[in-house]
Amino acid sequence: MAPAQRCPLCRQTFFCGRGHVYSRKHQRQLKEALERLLPQVEAARKAIRAAQVERYVPEHERCCWCLCCGCEVREHLSHGNLTVLYGGLLEHLASPEHKKATNKFWWENKAEVQMKEKFLVTPQDYARFKKSMVKGLDSYEEKEDKVIKEMAAQIREVEQSRQEVVRSVLEPQAVPDPEEGSSAPRSWKGMNSQVASSLQQPSNLDLPPAPELDWMETGPSLTFIGHQDIPGVGNIHSALIFFSGATPPWMIQDEEYIAGNQEIGPSYEEFLKEKEKQKLKKLPPDRVGANFDHSSRTSAGWLPSFGRVWNNGRRWQSRHQFKTEAAAMKKQSHTEKS
Amino acid sequence: MSFLLPKLTSKKEVDQAIKSTAEKVLVLRFGRDEDPVCLQLDDILSKTSSDLSKMAAIHLVDVDQTAVYTQYFDISYIPSTVFFFNGQHMKVDYGSPDHTKFVGSFKTKQDFIDLIEVIYRGAMRGKLIVQSPIDPKNIPKYDLLYQDI
Repeated sequence: MAPAQRCPLCRQTFFCGRGHVYSRKHQRQLKEALERLLPQVEAARKAIRAAQVERYVPEHERCCWCLCCGCEVREHLSHGNLTVLYGGLLEHLASPEHKKATNKFWWENKAEVQMKEKFLVTPQDYARFKKSMVKGLDSYEEKEDKVIKEMAAQIREVEQSRQEVVRSVLEPQAVPDPEEGSSAPRSWKGMNSQVASSLQQPSNLDLPPAPELDWMETGPSLTFIGHQDIPGVGNIHSALIFFSGATPPWMIQDEEYIAGNQEIGPSYEEFLKEKEKQKLKKLPPDRVGANFDHSSRTSAGWLPSFGRVWNNGRRWQSRHQFKTEAAAMKKQSHTEKS
Repeated sequence: MSFLLPKLTSKKEVDQAIKSTAEKVLVLRFGRDEDPVCLQLDDILSKTSSDLSKMAAIHLVDVDQTAVYTQYFDISYIPSTVFFFNGQHMKVDYGSPDHTKFVGSFKTKQDFIDLIEVIYRGAMRGKLIVQSPIDPKNIPKYDLLYQDI
């Protein structure tokens, strides 16, 4: 018997010597292992033509196991913020050690020779990959720049429209504000000093923002509503909130509201019905007639489900039998009469 | 006596009673008020009706006024008592030839109460036919006539 040897592919010890490699089991294991490795290599090969550069993500740290060399290889090359997809794998596949290891693997495990080529990357291919990588990097940078520019433009737009709104709201308010300020002392006696200060405040507020807004161009899209004069509501926006004692809009009753006995919740009968329903739920579900509809309207000729004494057949057919019998009896009595 | 129990005089009323009784055994006594056996039965029914109010609803039906049901239920002897539960007819095996109805009167009130209880329990379990708890000695004997004779 040959000395005990361990086959790393089958992960088993065997005593057949060199014969093990030709066995069916070993070949099957070999095929499966190569099948597992092939998709990764194919994906990497595609990347030779069109190298993809992406923003770095922790997933790019993943390592791939190279069957031939028996070592872990970093799949994607990352530097700083960017990653080149499949860069690491390609680099490894092109290296001479990998070539030697692959040859050894193929010879030892007696795999198919045609397959070997697929797992190797020639130095020319690698050079091509490097070129496309450079191109990829350039295009990625361009893309990033474009995105940043777009975002900046958007922010500028939003800022402009906002300032436009502020300006348009302040302009018409500058006229009625002094009027409101003078009406305040009429409703409130004895607090003249406060009123005087409130009169001055809105006019002070107006002057600083107005010169700032002059240089802005008119923006699009917002419809101008202007200052709405709702009776009893004004002075909410003044510095002294609720100063005049006006009711806020949400407390004003709706015109449709019928004052008086509007109780919320179900009425008493509904409550009783709910109680009945709860009790019904507690009853066993497979009781007789559980799905009997008590409130259904039935015709004058309705007969209940009755298993008759002299009927032949199922209970639900008894009704039908009764009807036919009744019809037959009627006909008989008719013929008897006539 | 019999004026304490509700009376049904037309097919429509019987239909209404069958459809409206929910989760309780419906007891329909078919007979005539003047008949002596009916009187006996009605006595028992009315005395037990309040005790059984949660399990059963009892009604008296006049056979002369509901001809349809007299034929449909094959009633040939009076009094005959038919039991329903949720619109479904309940059969009881009394040891007599006819399981679809109870013919005659009960000997004691307790017999009737036991019978109602057995029917109610059987119905809750989903059984359409139950075994009567009444002693066969106390069940009235009669001959079942074939309908065409």
